This record gives sequence, C-alpha cells and structure tokens, in this order.
Amino acid sequence: MIARTVLAVTAVTALTLPGGLVAPAYASHGGANDVRAGGTCSGSAHWKLKAKPDDGRIEVEGEIDSNVAGQRWRWTFKHDGSVSARGSKRTAGRSGSFSVERRMANLSGPDHFVFRATHGKQTCRGTISF
Amino acid sequence: MTGLRRPLTNPLVQFVVASLFLFGLTWWATGIFSQRAARAEALADARVTTELLAHSIAEPAMPRRLVAGDPGAIDRFDRAVHDRLMTGDVRRIKIWRDDGTVVYSDETELIGKRFALDAEQLSVLRSGATESSLSDLRRRENEFETEDDGLLEVYTKIESPEGQSLLFEAYFSVDTVKQRSAEVLTPFRRITALSLLALLLVGVPLLGVLTLRLTRASRARERLMQRAVQSSEAERRRIARDLHDGVVQELAGTAFALSGTAREPGLSDGLREELLGSSRALRRSLRQLRSLLVEIHPPGLDASGLGAALEDLTAPAAAAGVTTAVSVTGVEGAPDHVVALVWRVAQEATRNTLRHAHASHLTVDVRGDERQVRLTVQDDGIGFDDADPARPGSYGLRGLQSLVEDGGGRVRVDSAPGRGTTVRMVVERP
Repeated sequence: MIARTVLAVTAVTALTLPGGLVAPAYASHGGANDVRAGGTCSGSAHWKLKAKPDDGRIEVEGEIDSNVAGQRWRWTFKHDGSVSARGSKRTAGRSGSFSVERRMANLSGPDHFVFRATHGKQTCRGTISF
Repeated sequence: MTGLRRPLTNPLVQFVVASLFLFGLTWWATGIFSQRAARAEALADARVTTELLAHSIAEPAMPRRLVAGDPGAIDRFDRAVHDRLMTGDVRRIKIWRDDGTVVYSDETELIGKRFALDAEQLSVLRSGATESSLSDLRRRENEFETEDDGLLEVYTKIESPEGQSLLFEAYFSVDTVKQRSAEVLTPFRRITALSLLALLLVGVPLLGVLTLRLTRASRARERLMQRAVQSSEAERRRIARDLHDGVVQELAGTAFALSGTAREPGLSDGLREELLGSSRALRRSLRQLRSLLVEIHPPGLDASGLGAALEDLTAPAAAAGVTTAVSVTGVEGAPDHVVALVWRVAQEATRNTLRHAHASHLTVDVRGDERQVRLTVQDDGIGFDDADPARPGSYGLRGLQSLVEDGGGRVRVDSAPGRGTTVRMVVERP
C-alpha cells in the first residue's frame, strides 16, 4: 500500500535535557499525509523532524540547525525503540545545518520514531508518530 | 457422394489434404510441447533466481534480531535488500519463521503476522530443498496480491545470523511462463510453418507432374488392355468361325457320309455296325465341338443379344434342376467388349455355382445406365469362407478378377458358409 493513512494525527515532541528538563516543541501536518515536528535542543540549536509515506514505506527526515558550520554531530534514528540507523554528519552552510533521511518499514499499527543528535554537551531529541 | 469421392482419389488433393492435416497436427503438438518446455524452463529459471536471491542477497544482509521482529533490524534489512530483491519478474518476497510468522516482506503490512505453513513449506524448511507451486490467492497471506493470472511461488531455506532456519519465498508472475512459452513457440512455429509451406511449394508441382505422367501411363495401359481384350475377342471370333467353317463342316460331312455308307446294301452286319458307331462318335464330337464354340464365342454376342446369350448360359443349370432367372435392362448401345466382359463373368460365376454351390436357385441380373453396366450373379448354395484360399473355384475367381480388371471394371465376391454366393461386377461404359 503506497499511500498509507496517517494513523497518528498528533505528533508529540519533546526536548529532553540532560537534567531531565523538557523544552516546548510543536507538531503539525505539513502536506496531505506529512507529519512534522520541531523544537529547540539543549543548547542554541533547533531540530526538525518530518515523516511522510513513500511507496509503501515511511520516509523520515531529521534536521539540525546549529547556526555554526563545521560542527560534527552524531545522530540516531530509532523505530519503535529499536535503532534503525545511526551515523555522524557535519553542519554546513550559512545556517550551520545538516539533515538525514531514511526510509523505514511501515509496520502494522502506529510507528514511533525518535531522532537524537548530539554534539559535545548539546543534545537534540525529537519524536514523531505516524 | 461420388462427387466428393472423386477429388479425394486425386493424389495431388490427397497430398495437399495430408499436408494440411499434418500442419494442423504439428501446430497443435508444438503448442502443447513448447508450453510444457517453456513452463519447465520458466520454473527452473524461477528456482535459480530464488536461490540466488536467498543465498546471495537476503542471507548475507540479514541483521541480527530480524527474526525477533526488531523494527530497527527490519528497517536496515529493508533498506539494504529491497531494491535488489524486487527485481525482474519477482512480485513478492516473504521470509518466514518456522512458526508461520512473517519476519520480512516487501509488503511491510505482513511483517509480524502469522499464518499456518503448509506441509510443502514445512518440508522445505526441514530438507533445505527448493520447491515451487502455483499460489492459492484465496489464502490470507496473499490478501495483497492482485495478479489476475495467478502467481508462481518458489521456496527455499535460509539461515538467520542466530542460526535459525527460515523459509525464503519468492513470488513470480505466471505471465512469465506465458511469455517464455511464446518465446519458445513462436520461432518454432515459424520454422514449422515455413518448412511445410516450402514442402507444399516444392511437392505440389512435382507431384502434379508425377500424377500427370501416371495418369497418362494409366490411360495408355487401359487402352492397351482394351485392345488386348478386343484382340482376344476378335481372335476367339476368328477361331470360332474357322472351326465352324472348316473342321465342323468337314466333321458333319464325314458323319453324314458314314451314315450314308452304312445304309448301302451288301455290307456285312459287323461293318455296318462299325460305320454307324463311327458316325455316332463323330456326331458326339461334333456336339462337343459346337458347345466349345459357343463357349469360345457365343454367336450374336452383342448388347441386343446379351439376354439370349445369358439364357443359353444358364440353360444347363435349369437342366441340372436349378431354377434360374435372367434379367437384362439398360444395356442398349453398350460396346461389344463390355458385353463380352459381362458375359465372361456371368459364365465363370454360373460355372462355379453349378460345380460347387449345390444351389437350388440362381439369378443373373444385368442393369446398365449411360455411365456403367452392373452385373449381379447370386445363388443360394452352400457358399464358402472368403478367407480360405484353397476353396473350390478360387482359381477361377482370381482369373475372373484379373479378367475384369483388364477390362477396366471392378468385381467383388461375397460369400459365407451356408449363405450362398453373390458376384458383383461393375464396368464403366466408355
């Protein structure tokens, strides 16, 4: 099934600080079936998370804006609590940002995704349900 | 009926009909065999492809915990192999645990669902063989399949990194089998059709020429035969005439002279008796000679005299206590050689009846029209076994057959023990 009905119309996002503090975040519907979320990290960086159906799969895209180019961030995608993909990437451009996208299996029932990125003491964590 | 039969006796028509029949048969047979061959080839291809996908792509790329249904492992595996597995004719991939749980499928909705494995699938899991069968699209596991013509599924066994046996299943479109069949069939049929066409193009003119030659030779032979029969008749007529005008007249004169001499006075009784005896012997010989002359060539043997000649022919039968019936119609204007042939066949058949049949009734029936003359000689005698070559009169009948064929006719003898004998002859009127 290529176009899957979005099961979860709400995307819950949270920014978890090392000390257990939670910063506010937003969640919204982008396109017809897209789910988007975003928020601030523990430092000055911002994160964005987007999920959309893609030929029977879910394409999940995570983005970090740190405003500083050349930083190396380590990132992880989790799917229903299990590590689906991980890697590292360097921020680039005037906005000092990077983005990663991965295709995830569209399993039966709602799929929960977590995007986590760290650079030094700065941590970003966003979740989205699809 | 005759109109239909006549073209079918033409060798050229027979050749064309046989060629067309052969063409149809070959067309049908090549369809059947090539379909089987193509199906076997497509199945073999599907098996090889499945083994290749299973052991060269899926098994090496399988991450740990995929068999446990770990979502991250599923994602990684899917990203690594999906595009490489769904290649060519592959329509669906499923990887099963032995308890019937789908641990991976390109249709991700199936992942984690459980269906009962059938005996064949379990057997593959145990033996490690590769098997194939047509998919039963009514099964729940196939709810996402939309192929109208069905699917061919091929299974083989793989192992997870944890050492667990898994069933790797690939589905192929049945269209592939049809395409392969067409690929095999089309060139083969083209070759067959062209070969038969070439055979017809070369064979028909050749056969036409041969048929023409044979027809000409056959007509020449017929003419020769007719001439032979006519010559034979003429020779018989000449011999009969010579005997009648020569020997018969002289014998008759001698017999008459002997009788006259025997009546002269002054002869001894012994001499008179000897002369009268010689005269009687000469008259007996004269009668036998006249009968022989009638057999060699009956006087007045033409179409108008055929009835009378046949009456004469059956007269001895009447004398032997056999009731006879002779009927002749429609032979007016029939050529002499046809009339002679009818008479000869009637003569041989009547002779056989008198000698062997112990019949009480004999009929001779001649009917003619503008195309042919038909003779039927039928008796109610003891008959004989058709299959017995040593039956009485068989040599005469064989000679009869030869005589009729030489005269351009056909003869058939029907008989059975206790059921009489019927001789039928047909001769064409020129």
